[in-house]
Amino acid sequence: MSAGRHDAIVIGSGVEELVAAARLASAGLGVLVLEAGDSVGGPAASGEVLPGFRIDPVFPDAGFLDPRALRDLALESHGLALLAPDPILAAPAESGEPLVLRRDLERTRASIAKRSARDADRWVAFAETMEAFAGILEEASIRPPVEPAGPLADLAPYLGLGKRVRALGRARMTELFRVLPLPVQDLLDDTFEDDLLKGALAAGAVRGIFQGPRSPGTAFVLLHHHVGNPAGVFGVRTVVRGGTGALVEALASAARERGVEIRSRAPVERILCEKGRATGTALTDGAEIAARAVLSGAGPARTFLEWTGTTWLDPDFVHAVRMIRFRGGSARVHLALSEAPRFEGLPDTPPGVIAIAPDPDSVERAYDDAKHGAFSARPVLEARIASIADPSLAPPGRHVMSVDVRFVPPGGSTGNGDGSSREAIGDRVIDLLEERAPNLPGAILGREVTLPSDLETRYGLTGGDPFQGELGLDQLLFMRPVPGWAGYRTPIAGLYLCGAGTHPAGAVTGASGRHAADAMIADRRRNR
Amino acid sequence: MQLSKTWDAIVIGGGHNGLVCAAYLARAGRDVLVLERRPLLGGAAVTEEVFSGFRFSVFSYVVSLLRPEIIRDLDLPGHGLHIIPLESTFNPLPDGDYLATWADADETRRELYRHSPRDADAMQEFGRLMQRMAMAVKPILGIEPPDPASWHPRDLLAMGRLGKHFRDLGARDLHALVKLMTMSSADYLGEWFESEALKAAKSASGIIGTFLGPRSPGTAYVLLHHYMGEIDGVFRAWGFARGGTGAVSEAIGSAARRFGAEIRTEAAVSRVLVEEGRAQGVVLESGEEIRARTVVSGLDPRRTFLELVERQELPDELLTAVERFRFRGSSGKVNLALSEPPNFTALPGNGPHLKGAMAIAPSVDYLERAYDDAKYGDFSRRPFLDIVMPSMIDPTMAPPGQHVMSIFVQYAPYHRKGGWDGRSREAFGDAVVDTLAEYAPNIRSAILHRQVITPADIEAVTGLSEGNIFQGELALSQLFFLRPAPAWADHRTPVRGYYQCGSGTHPGGGIMGASGRLASRAILADGPRR
Repeated sequence: MSAGRHDAIVIGSGVEELVAAARLASAGLGVLVLEAGDSVGGPAASGEVLPGFRIDPVFPDAGFLDPRALRDLALESHGLALLAPDPILAAPAESGEPLVLRRDLERTRASIAKRSARDADRWVAFAETMEAFAGILEEASIRPPVEPAGPLADLAPYLGLGKRVRALGRARMTELFRVLPLPVQDLLDDTFEDDLLKGALAAGAVRGIFQGPRSPGTAFVLLHHHVGNPAGVFGVRTVVRGGTGALVEALASAARERGVEIRSRAPVERILCEKGRATGTALTDGAEIAARAVLSGAGPARTFLEWTGTTWLDPDFVHAVRMIRFRGGSARVHLALSEAPRFEGLPDTPPGVIAIAPDPDSVERAYDDAKHGAFSARPVLEARIASIADPSLAPPGRHVMSVDVRFVPPGGSTGNGDGSSREAIGDRVIDLLEERAPNLPGAILGREVTLPSDLETRYGLTGGDPFQGELGLDQLLFMRPVPGWAGYRTPIAGLYLCGAGTHPAGAVTGASGRHAADAMIADRRRNR
Repeated sequence: MQLSKTWDAIVIGGGHNGLVCAAYLARAGRDVLVLERRPLLGGAAVTEEVFSGFRFSVFSYVVSLLRPEIIRDLDLPGHGLHIIPLESTFNPLPDGDYLATWADADETRRELYRHSPRDADAMQEFGRLMQRMAMAVKPILGIEPPDPASWHPRDLLAMGRLGKHFRDLGARDLHALVKLMTMSSADYLGEWFESEALKAAKSASGIIGTFLGPRSPGTAYVLLHHYMGEIDGVFRAWGFARGGTGAVSEAIGSAARRFGAEIRTEAAVSRVLVEEGRAQGVVLESGEEIRARTVVSGLDPRRTFLELVERQELPDELLTAVERFRFRGSSGKVNLALSEPPNFTALPGNGPHLKGAMAIAPSVDYLERAYDDAKYGDFSRRPFLDIVMPSMIDPTMAPPGQHVMSIFVQYAPYHRKGGWDGRSREAFGDAVVDTLAEYAPNIRSAILHRQVITPADIEAVTGLSEGNIFQGELALSQLFFLRPAPAWADHRTPVRGYYQCGSGTHPGGGIMGASGRLASRAILADGPRR
């Protein structure tokens, strides 16, 4: 069997896994990628609502894309093109002027000024401060986390981060410490008065956390999603032409070019271990594939509770894995449209995020409902009509629209506590959208409602949580995925983790894949 | 005469922190004058005979966090302080059962076992962890927060020492501490326990004084904060002061006088005299001017900076920080004079459970729903109640055979939609009595008198802004070097000779006295003239 032994098996073919695979192959390792689904990408692969209407079922935009991954793999030469939709965030108003946020701070200021002169005056300073803070988080994102109680020498890479924090200057530095654990609502109330502006920003600050804007830690989430963005660019992140699935395809192409073998329809059933060391994988069809090391992008719960079994694991570690909070609280409604929806007050259909969250309280109330086990009576919506910026996603003149719907009860199955069926959720979302875009219901050619339970059954995302662990302050950095095991290594020698469940908590960044590959390569050199 | 006298120090406010600060200054030989607006000492730690024959700890009602070194340094037992431990807890449940803990550890274990054998086991380890965590945080309560933005060797050294302190905990305990600092009490307790009644009873102490629900991140820290209490070296021990909470203030006041401090009541300060950036004394509301070399404010940060001194004396960053400092009082009090003790359906009769702490906190969801009401500007229809009956163990509090009951109530938002008036106050009182009557039906007929205190009342009577019992929320964004404002967390202010000693400064919260003691140390360290 050793003749067929791979240097490394990578489980999953999402962005992080492919970045890792390409990096491992570049270092000379023979790498086999195993994908359970029919096509490369797993949850990051593109799908269709109707033939010819392409959507991204789970990750509608790329997260912060680690510039090192883009550069190292020369992804442009593999067909990757990034788009910068503008306006980035629009919020149609129940009455009065809509809010239109653009990349140009001055034009955004002008839009805000139509609703509040005071807020407009404060916009630029706010945007610049948030950009500076996100810059600090970015510095942390592109470094592997270190254990603060570990050897002092290990902390050295973080000295640079400390310097960056100091370089913010006294006022901004202390403000950063104040803001990180703050409820986003307090942050917004400190600065702005217009409910629509605060609602639109608050809606984005509860993405990946099952909390309302009054909960401490949500200001951090706003910043987390802002990492890598220019000042003032809230809401939309990096958009890939052809959809996030096109990024996966470019990565797969770059990985193959480096000798990586990618096998689809190869679902893993077990990770093989001998004497506390990973030795390969067993597939559901019974085939066993040997490898010197295994990298799992599937998230800590599946990896340890389903695949390795707990034989080789310390009970405290198993308990910590069981205690990770997976609280997928978003549903998604994907629509195929015969025409672009026309939002009242907006002359053109915006290409970025369209936020339906009239004020922070509407976000909080939507959370209240789900917190007590029911689908929100008036959910918060973040919609995007991706085909506006990228017409290749739909047949000529037609459009695709994806709506992120918050909140459904965590992990919600079709039962959803209050008995809302999948289609009832879809209907409620359409009704809400119709209030702002009356032509929408008549334009629907096809629709698909995805619940957290679907994410779990289709893609193995535990709890239907695309982040593979809530973005809570206690589940970040050296605490992610579990305290003591944040460095992409695991208690099982030769088994590594990457993906959103690890630092820096994104599935489309390239950072965790890179860090995990580096850990494996370093161990290999040390012959571990 | 007094008019011409210049004091070494004036302390504004005779709350427990002001008195502690004054006592330490006097003990060091300073000539100290304490000025209290009300006719009695104590601020929010007072005992008053609200109804003839019935004496109440009107606001703050239990003692636990008072630092042992203060008790020793000031010889408070010698000044009449006698703390009677609260030995049990009792939470009646809607299904007719109850959850209790007793002085006897085995009995408590049996009671927990009845609810969940697993939880009874987990409690042992949980208790040990909390004790270690409290030990890990305790040293922080006794130091001045360093300024993280400073390059001064003193601050760098202090930061280094802090870093070492936390690293020395070891990875395991450090992780546990990070979790406690950032998680919700519901999630944190969910990692340990399965019994809903137990999780609810414990998470209730994570919301006390906050405007957060048990599922809000940040509440696990408050849980720990309440674990930090120690009486006679026993962690998590709560007690009454004989004679009510006011007796604590009286004892500290008596100690201060013994050391030579003078205390004047009914002497409301209207402003601090500042000349050339330096505090020179105070002006009373009566117009009287009293001069001093040092002025210490025991009031909350809003009053200390925005009311007592002119804005022009302060840098803009400090003003902004104080304006953003969050108070949001969330609790009220209902004090009842009773003709007979409550008769709980879950545990009928006049048993030992009435001598301890009682609470209506039947489930985490119940507490969360109570918070939901308050978020949108109303008091909780079914509130969380924390109940004690001092007359059960201290007969001086009520006429023979009759009782006083102190009910701490959450949530009652200071910013109530429509504001607070006589009608809403009584409606709030009714909600409290109705809630209690569900568990102890005789309570309605037992009530002889009732005093209902809203956060607006707390503010009006004690001066605590927005009725916040901690002089500002105990949230991560307002702790340590951020309490009350960056660069001014060391009990000093930009006005030379003007200091702050209230619980709005580090470490803040509860009848702890640590803020007052730290402020006195800063003043003494600065020498007679800074």
